[in-house]
Amino acid sequence: MKPVEIRLEEHLINEEPYYLASGREIEIAMSAHKNCLPLLLKGPTGCGKTRFMQFLAWKLKRPLITVSCHDDLSTSDLIGRFLIRSGEAVWTDGPLTLAVRAGAICYLDEIVEARKDTTVVIHPLADDRRELPMEKLGELLLAPPEFMICISYNPGYQSVLKDLKPSTRQRFVAISFDYPSPEMEAEIVCKEGGVDTKLAGSLVKLAGMTRSLKESGLAEGASTRLLIQTGQLVQDGIDIHTACRAALIEPLSDDPELLAALQEMVSSIF
Amino acid sequence: MKLALLTERFYELVAPDIPNEWDVEEVLESLIDKSDPVCESILGHIPIIWPVSHCLCFDFLRLLPKTLEHLSLEQIPRWIGITLDHYETDGLRAAQRFMQDGIDQYLSNLKGSGGLNFTSIEKRLLPYIRGIARNDLQIEQAGTSYTDTTSIYVPQEVSFSTNNDNNFLLYKYILTFQWGFIACGSFISKAPSEFSHIECDKDTLWLRPFFASFEEPLLARDIYHSLESIRVQSFLNRELPGLMRAAGTHIFPRLASSITEHPLQALQQTLITNNARQSRLLGHYLSKKACKHYLLGQSTACDSIKNSIKIFSRIHQKNSEYLPISPLPFQGVLKLRAVETARKIQEQKMGEEFADMMATYLLTLSKKELGILHKQDSENKGLAESDISIIMDSKFAQTAERDKETPILVTINNEQLEMPAELEEFTKSFFDEFGHLPSHFCSSAAGKAGQAMLTQDVAGQTEESSQQTDTLLYDEWDYRRQGYRKNWCSLHFKNLSPVYSPFIQNTLDKYHGLTTRLRHQFEMMRSQEHFVKRQREGDDIDFDALVESIADSHAGISASDRLFIRLKRDDRDIAVLFLVDMSNSTAGWVNNALKESLVLMAEAMEVLGDRYGIYGFSGMRRSRCELFHVKHLSESYGEQVKGRICSIAPGEYTRMGPPIRHATSILKEIDAKVRLIITLTDGKPEDYDDYKGEYAIEDTRHALLEAKTADIHPFCITIDHQAKDYMQHMYGPANYIFIDNIQKLPLRMPEIYRVLTT
Repeated sequence: MKPVEIRLEEHLINEEPYYLASGREIEIAMSAHKNCLPLLLKGPTGCGKTRFMQFLAWKLKRPLITVSCHDDLSTSDLIGRFLIRSGEAVWTDGPLTLAVRAGAICYLDEIVEARKDTTVVIHPLADDRRELPMEKLGELLLAPPEFMICISYNPGYQSVLKDLKPSTRQRFVAISFDYPSPEMEAEIVCKEGGVDTKLAGSLVKLAGMTRSLKESGLAEGASTRLLIQTGQLVQDGIDIHTACRAALIEPLSDDPELLAALQEMVSSIF
Repeated sequence: MKLALLTERFYELVAPDIPNEWDVEEVLESLIDKSDPVCESILGHIPIIWPVSHCLCFDFLRLLPKTLEHLSLEQIPRWIGITLDHYETDGLRAAQRFMQDGIDQYLSNLKGSGGLNFTSIEKRLLPYIRGIARNDLQIEQAGTSYTDTTSIYVPQEVSFSTNNDNNFLLYKYILTFQWGFIACGSFISKAPSEFSHIECDKDTLWLRPFFASFEEPLLARDIYHSLESIRVQSFLNRELPGLMRAAGTHIFPRLASSITEHPLQALQQTLITNNARQSRLLGHYLSKKACKHYLLGQSTACDSIKNSIKIFSRIHQKNSEYLPISPLPFQGVLKLRAVETARKIQEQKMGEEFADMMATYLLTLSKKELGILHKQDSENKGLAESDISIIMDSKFAQTAERDKETPILVTINNEQLEMPAELEEFTKSFFDEFGHLPSHFCSSAAGKAGQAMLTQDVAGQTEESSQQTDTLLYDEWDYRRQGYRKNWCSLHFKNLSPVYSPFIQNTLDKYHGLTTRLRHQFEMMRSQEHFVKRQREGDDIDFDALVESIADSHAGISASDRLFIRLKRDDRDIAVLFLVDMSNSTAGWVNNALKESLVLMAEAMEVLGDRYGIYGFSGMRRSRCELFHVKHLSESYGEQVKGRICSIAPGEYTRMGPPIRHATSILKEIDAKVRLIITLTDGKPEDYDDYKGEYAIEDTRHALLEAKTADIHPFCITIDHQAKDYMQHMYGPANYIFIDNIQKLPLRMPEIYRVLTT
């Protein structure tokens, strides 16, 4: 099992990730972990779900194993498979199994992107059984108390095909995330993007304006992540207008009129 | 023409006025060397200008030599028309300025070389201003710029520079500046505490009586407007420095003028000058401290009121008439009456909503609670207007800074009752906004409730006879008792008789480009192909599976025989029901757009192959909810269906619960991977009886929850501006879409369906 240990090391977070709590989410997550309950994070893109997971893993001192879900994700991709090494069949754990064995936190990001039949494998892990049946090994893996399973998704997607089955969602303690308050968001952008308070404040103001355009045809407003990225470009010497265009406006829409309107907002603020 | 003859003709034209002969001869001298027809043509304009302004008429004749150098005789009437427009909107000085300097601009406009038309940039600026304002402001076109707080009015064309980038910037600045007045609270509706002696009635903005209290109200208005403009500018300096920098470079220098005939013009100049000169100019009128406050954006509208009084007393000259100075283009004008009208409309809207909520609340009260009421009105069986009054804590009503927690109590015939939380909240926000609650909204609520009671009784009597063979009974959710009213609504099935009209063909022609594109997009969706791994047979070897299988066999586990990849056409297997609102409010454009959308949708769905049905719904009261059949799920899209789409017409009310419940029952029987109900509506659920407000919303919400429980996805497309407030509650945050322009519906609907199902 040596290779497994080496890989787990990589998943341990040693330095405290920057995370500014906006409510009692840390408290809830800690309590969920203590009580062996699985966690569901929902919220718009780029509002800090993944960062929260990193922070939680650091706080709990457990390795964090993240799986970005996609529609080709198979059960073997999660649990593991036999591979041939030097003419011998060697079992290789998938990320989920790895996490269960090591008592780590397994984070399935954007769970709705995975096919519904794949997500069913987490069911026995996510209720009070806390077990992972491994058909090929003929093993039933029991999760240690330290193990935690977390999933996340963005409820803002309007496709009916991308929804979580009630049988899946009703196993989780859910925490809803949203963009932080303007003051907090400015603080985050300031810290993470490395820009001064004034610029961070202006970026947050711009984000607020884009978020109010939801009813005018913009699917989602600028996320905190986009603001941080813009800040980073500025920090690297790119002028604010170009940085906003590249990191904030263009990622939001392809509609020429909306893009033009967003550009006008940028030129008004900066 | 000789001078004597010219003078004689002039006096004929301006009779009975007899202007000074000196002046007349002086201005007519320029016509002496012109031919008779030219003189007659010029003199022909005098009867048009003279009655509007004598002064302007003299100016016209005085400037004639210069005008004729640039304009032909045919161009002059139009030019005069525009000059008079300027006079009417911005006053004499603006008209004079236009006559003096506007010819070049006028000519370049005629050539089409100067000027930017608002229509060409509206789509860019509308989302801009909505983003900046963070609400749904509208933009309208008008002769001059102003705002009524719900819309911003801008000129149809801006031709202040030959460079359209600058014209665009001016438009943007006008919009932002006008929004500034709203954001800074310039339109004071209630008297500030220091000025409570100046009273105003509830429908009037307090500013109007305030200005009227001056000897020269127009001067007072313009002083206040200028001070508020400075305040707005400081606010924009802080909020949108980029815009202010651009305006400082490209707009202000062009507007700078050395004319300071009137002291107010100097005040106006502070808006388009640099900081140092700004404080100097402002220093003439305000104390050092006030100056600083204005320039740093620390002043309030109330400061402007106080300073207006001070400045007025300094610059007002007794016995001389004040001719309003023309404002800077972005400053626009203060149209207090327009603001009052907009507030009135807003008040009416909110009032009606209040009446609906109140009526629903009254209907929840037991007969005993309303007993006194009923007895009194046994003759007309309704609630009388005087029977209901809203009484609040006196502290709540009078103090401006009232405690948010103060409860509002409703007193009906001296019996004090508690208001439901939602209604109380709404009433409080109404008071906050308008400071009072007109009693007619209470009367209206009483009327509505009374009528509903009456119809309930009638409905009760006729209930027995309403059960026909083509009728189904559905339960209705009553949130007040947290339970269902059993078999409460009868849903009648009706057939629409097909109408054969060119509507379908016209729609297809109108959206020809779009239908081709849609067809292509929907074809792509249909042929969504993907590789399925681990199949027993297929087109290619699945190497992952093969490796795994070999490894498994090495490990002593029976190896899988699923070793192939197969290209699989995605089986969409979607069944969808469209429920179309056929209520009375859809009459006109809305109904047309709904039908056009259905045609485009049906065309696209034919390509896609998803099963779909279309039903219309309308009705009146619970005893007669109607469901109109347009297309069943299994029916093919033929001439009959097309004819039925054409015959969709506005009916009566919108009782949404029964049709949704029926759609759910249809889809429950259908075996499909994804089942959808898409509702197309223009407003809230509402019926003639007590199916209103919270009751209607809660019932609809419950009908939708029933659908969700049956694994059916409800989705709503609405054009109601107020939709955000209740749609989220009914459908859930991501399950509805608001379309701000009904004309866009036919374009958006197939797109929405595409996003929804991929």
